[in-house]
Amino acid sequence: MSWTLIFQHLYLVIMATIGTIVIGLPLGVLAYLNKSFNRLILWSVDILQTLPALALLGVIMVFIGGNSLTVIIGLILYSLLPIVRNTYVGLTNIDPAIKEAATAMGMGKFYKLIHVELPLAFPVVFTGIRIAVVTSIGVAVFGTFVGGGGLGSVIYRGIHIQNMNLIMSGTLSLMAMAIIFDFSMAWIEKKLYQK
Amino acid sequence: MIEYKNIHKEYQGVSVINNINFKINNGEFVVLIGPSGCGKTTTLKMLNRLIKIDSGEIYIDNKNIMEVDIENLRRNIGYVIQQIGLFPNMTIEENICVVPKLLKWDKDKCNNRVHELLSMVSMPYEQYAKKYPKELSGGQQQRIGVLRAIAAKPPIILMDEPFGALDPITRDILQDEVKDLQKKLNLTVIFVTHDMDEAIKLADTIIFMDKGDILQIASPEEMLRAPANEIISEFMGKRGNFLDAENMACSDLMRTPVFTIKDDKKTLECIEIMKKRQIDSLIVVDKAGIFQGVVTIESIRSKGKAGEKINSLISKDFPTVLQDDVGKTAFDLLMDKKYDYVIVLTRDNSVVGIITKSSLAKALASVVWGEM
Repeated sequence: MSWTLIFQHLYLVIMATIGTIVIGLPLGVLAYLNKSFNRLILWSVDILQTLPALALLGVIMVFIGGNSLTVIIGLILYSLLPIVRNTYVGLTNIDPAIKEAATAMGMGKFYKLIHVELPLAFPVVFTGIRIAVVTSIGVAVFGTFVGGGGLGSVIYRGIHIQNMNLIMSGTLSLMAMAIIFDFSMAWIEKKLYQK
Repeated sequence: MIEYKNIHKEYQGVSVINNINFKINNGEFVVLIGPSGCGKTTTLKMLNRLIKIDSGEIYIDNKNIMEVDIENLRRNIGYVIQQIGLFPNMTIEENICVVPKLLKWDKDKCNNRVHELLSMVSMPYEQYAKKYPKELSGGQQQRIGVLRAIAAKPPIILMDEPFGALDPITRDILQDEVKDLQKKLNLTVIFVTHDMDEAIKLADTIIFMDKGDILQIASPEEMLRAPANEIISEFMGKRGNFLDAENMACSDLMRTPVFTIKDDKKTLECIEIMKKRQIDSLIVVDKAGIFQGVVTIESIRSKGKAGEKINSLISKDFPTVLQDDVGKTAFDLLMDKKYDYVIVLTRDNSVVGIITKSSLAKALASVVWGEM
């Protein structure tokens, strides 16, 4: 096992998270703003997460071949749910009095979203991001089956040659990574809610 | 000038505002009041188009509000609500400057305005401007709520039960501040409340609503003196029976019921009754209840004999008033003469009550503080 594999794993997770935010945040906002899209969007991301991760990656591989992009796309689809849903919930749950005040002050829909609603929903959105990151760290293990690399390959090789040390080193690194991300992001989250 | 013309609104087929009409002059402080569900908040929120009008028109300075750009309309109408609704993600300064910023005021102008406004409510800029709403007390937050509403100098301010959630002392202070601001800046204020005390304190004009109708439009004074109907007088509660010192009749001042005796009673009987009731005189009536006079313990003692009828002892020159006489007559009699009470009679001379110094004080107190 080498640092390269750890960085490779991190790379997959971070790229996927950025992708999820870029896609998921607007979808969450859209679900909030438009009642008719609302159901379709929330239902779709729900369905995506019920798919087995490995199967999802397999299907994507059929289309674009086996490489790290396959894994990143898979992770994005897989972790859309927490971000879309939390964005939607965060926006929906803002005190209606504050929304009314913003409207009554003469803010347009978009201005209100940028200056009032998104900032207020952000702590909840951030919780969604944290869940997405931690989930991705685990799911990215399957990346190795579609040629995406990462720490999954260590564990896979360990299982293959029945080497306990190898399995343990891969697993522990993953756990450490997940715990470090989870704790540090939870700490930021706490600060956000306090504000 | 604001004009509501034939405004109608319904929710799911149920009419909540029934074709109401009224006008508000510039610089007028108008309070919309009524029991909950009367349509007062709906009426208010139609002006800045938070609630859609079903039919009818509202004009501000002869311009139909439906023809004004909705965001521009709102930026020119201040808005204060009970839940305060400050933006928690913005500092006090940013909160106050929301509308000026929307109106593209430059930074210096915004900054000067914040200084000016904060000093108006004695909250030093250095101490408060950079704080977040959460760090302020409820009263301070609502003060900022009011400042935010007037920051861009709108001519009209809407207030929806703005002080409803504050403690009585803070509420009182803020009411005074708002009234001062309104006068100083010549603002047109439309204020919703269900608290009659608040309405009386603040309003130039009170509009009383019930079930989507306007029942009365009047100054506080007029509404107190002549409520248009039962619903209003009931709503005003204690003040419903408000007496007007000028027009008080003797019947408003008297104490009832009154104890009388028949003129065929004997002296010892009378002394017994006086002893029991601890009084020194009795009002005497004949069989038909017609007032005959008063018999006092002194007259019985000096002239009366045991077992004698009291007819001959009755003194006729006791002060009496008619029940619809002006109250002042009774007052003068009580104050000038040595008598302890004045007897109130109807036109056919039957006794309806007596006015004592304490019944008088009670009636006068009710004028000042409401029915006791």
